[in-house]
Amino acid sequence: MVRSLLDLPLKARAVFFFTYLSVQAVILMRAQRGPDFVFGFQMFNESSDLKITLLRRARYKGHLRLLAIRDGAWRAKDAHGVEHTFRWQARVHDGVLGTLGSSIHASYGLQAQLFRLQFALRDVAAHIPDDSETQALIAVVDTLKNGHEAGQVRLEASRP
Amino acid sequence: MNATEVRRAAWLFSEERDAYLLGLLRLALSVLLLLNGARLILELKDGGYFGDFFHLPIWPEAFVPSATAYALLLSVQALAALLAFFGLWPRGSLLLASGIGLFILGCDRLQYHNNRYALLLLGFLLAFTPCDRSFLLAKRSPHHLPASARLAPTFARRLLQIQVSLVYLSSAGGKLLDSDWRGGQVLRMRFESVAPFWASRGLHLPGSLTLALSSALFASLAAKIAICTELFIALGLWFPRTRRAALWVGVLFHFWIEVSARVELFSWIMGASYLAFVTPELRERRLEYDPENERGRALARVLGWLDWCARFEITPRPANETWAGAFRVIGRDGVATRGLRGAALLAQATPALFPLWLPLELLSKLEKA
Repeated sequence: MVRSLLDLPLKARAVFFFTYLSVQAVILMRAQRGPDFVFGFQMFNESSDLKITLLRRARYKGHLRLLAIRDGAWRAKDAHGVEHTFRWQARVHDGVLGTLGSSIHASYGLQAQLFRLQFALRDVAAHIPDDSETQALIAVVDTLKNGHEAGQVRLEASRP
Repeated sequence: MNATEVRRAAWLFSEERDAYLLGLLRLALSVLLLLNGARLILELKDGGYFGDFFHLPIWPEAFVPSATAYALLLSVQALAALLAFFGLWPRGSLLLASGIGLFILGCDRLQYHNNRYALLLLGFLLAFTPCDRSFLLAKRSPHHLPASARLAPTFARRLLQIQVSLVYLSSAGGKLLDSDWRGGQVLRMRFESVAPFWASRGLHLPGSLTLALSSALFASLAAKIAICTELFIALGLWFPRTRRAALWVGVLFHFWIEVSARVELFSWIMGASYLAFVTPELRERRLEYDPENERGRALARVLGWLDWCARFEITPRPANETWAGAFRVIGRDGVATRGLRGAALLAQATPALFPLWLPLELLSKLEKA
């Protein structure tokens, strides 16, 4: 029988054993405090829903206004005055975050999806170089945590 | 640490057991790793490279591979899982496949799922067990090393067992600490969506069932049962007296999850991990069948196919013995049993028949009473 490099000597087994358990314990404890319980084995943790409404703050007729974004698409001009169409879903492929205007199950919980949505807003805001009108993207989120009204959450990401 | 504790610790790290079942677990986990990798390859092919869209890496962004490197990593992972399945450099391949998987998992938390993480951890730990001494499919028959060569240190099997328990403990702990969960509110919301779900597909559930599903009391009871089930599996697996019951409850629990929720490979992963809790020693039970009896011969043949864990010596009835019936089962304790009790003993040690074990056991007790 050829010895495998993965056959640890006796002392190394103890080191490996306790190191693995310690790392797992730390990861598990940190995961419980994380917004989306990544590495935390929190299965079916909530029955929550959210509805994302997307808006943009843009200069319109000389004034800064909040404009609704319908179905995730909007039109805006670049620095040369050429109009372009932008789509939220062109960058956000995630099934939950990509669903706008209708209620959807918040997998891994509300906090998880709100945490991810904030990053999604920043990401999209950073990837619309041809939009010289929009100054910020805003998400207004209606939340329902385990059947209870959990209020409206407003998230915003300015153009970098 | 006193002398007893030192001895116990030394036993844990020097424990040598038959590695046959670890080879079977390697087969199962490498298939699951392959399926998990295949899904990522399909997603890459159909949906494009995740790094071109919004993603949320756990590692620093600089560690996220390019599209080409990502495709290459997925290909290497699939190849490594295949090699592990066929038993070619199985441990190294398993370590490589799970290592790549863990790295990829950290590249985008949007793609994180507990079942994927559990699979990769189990694959990683299995690589440190002597899982390369049986089920070597690429090797000419016999595919297993002789029993003496299969005897090897299995300390990492204990880690794998602990990891399985941690999955259940963590899940149960989170539910227990959440008042909405332990009070039943989380389940109630899910139950309430069952009737509309079926109604939208043209199936109207009976009124009493719909009423029960929307009842707070029913949901509260179900939540407590679910938490207790997870706790029982996590802890019951460790005690010889409760292990079999914990495995049985676990099989049913995962069957229920599989049919009622979309959980990717979770049920299969946890089902496969139960192999780590099966007593490693082989053929400590015996099935004796009557070679003159058609049912006895058929049973011997079927058990030969289904005895994946090599629990049984299957032998025809010795010529000098006489007993009625098609078969009898001789357990680890040397006691021979027939009829329903014998069938329960067969189901108890045969993975494909295991769900029948408790009903047969209860029936045999009723018959005896």
